[in-house]
Amino acid sequence: MQPTRWLLQRRSVWKGPHIVPLAIVRPKPGEEAKPIRTQARAATILPSFVGLKFHVHNGKDYDEIDITEEMVGYKLGEFSPTRKPFIWTRK
Amino acid sequence: MTIIMGVNFNEKKLVRAPSLSYDANKKELSPDNEPTLQKALESFYGLGPQLAARIMAKNTIHPLARLGSVPPKTITALTAELSTMTIENDARRIVQDNIKRLRDMGTIRGRRHAMGLPVRGQRTRTQIETAKRLNTLERGGTYSKI
Repeated sequence: MQPTRWLLQRRSVWKGPHIVPLAIVRPKPGEEAKPIRTQARAATILPSFVGLKFHVHNGKDYDEIDITEEMVGYKLGEFSPTRKPFIWTRK
Repeated sequence: MTIIMGVNFNEKKLVRAPSLSYDANKKELSPDNEPTLQKALESFYGLGPQLAARIMAKNTIHPLARLGSVPPKTITALTAELSTMTIENDARRIVQDNIKRLRDMGTIRGRRHAMGLPVRGQRTRTQIETAKRLNTLERGGTYSKI
């Protein structure tokens, strides 16, 4: 099966999307979803991730992101900034 | 004055490319530097050299023709064709929507656009004039310098 173009995001067809094996635990109905803690910022968001919560490492701690439908095809790391904005008055 | 898509153009203006004149000192053809020369078709946002050339070829206009030499019938045809294309505000809106989508999703790319900084990991210590000029949420809008 050939992955569609929007999932590839400028990767070649023979490589396919960058898929990382993540420990995804589907919540049972009635239970609250537990965020998936990961450092794999380069992992492509697959259509099956929609509705899940992720804790993505930004180099220091973990940012929580909720996956929505339009995030499919982007990488996890694009949603957790790694740099602190420079502010003069900060102590 | 000739009017295309509600924009007034001086008759001396070229329809597309600037005219070439022979430069005796450099012994080569160089663009004419008359201030009235401008590319009328390419002055529309979202309409570049390639599309302009295609439109001109379609309406059988010479590449160096001036607006005054084009018959009014052809001008009407041009206006009719331009009104069906996604240029000016339609084209701007497409770009702005793409940036806005990135921003609403909370991506780093959208954030960098909002900050007016380079989007693709360039250095910011020096040489960010282009990013400062172009990277805004309202790219091509009233406050943008494009």
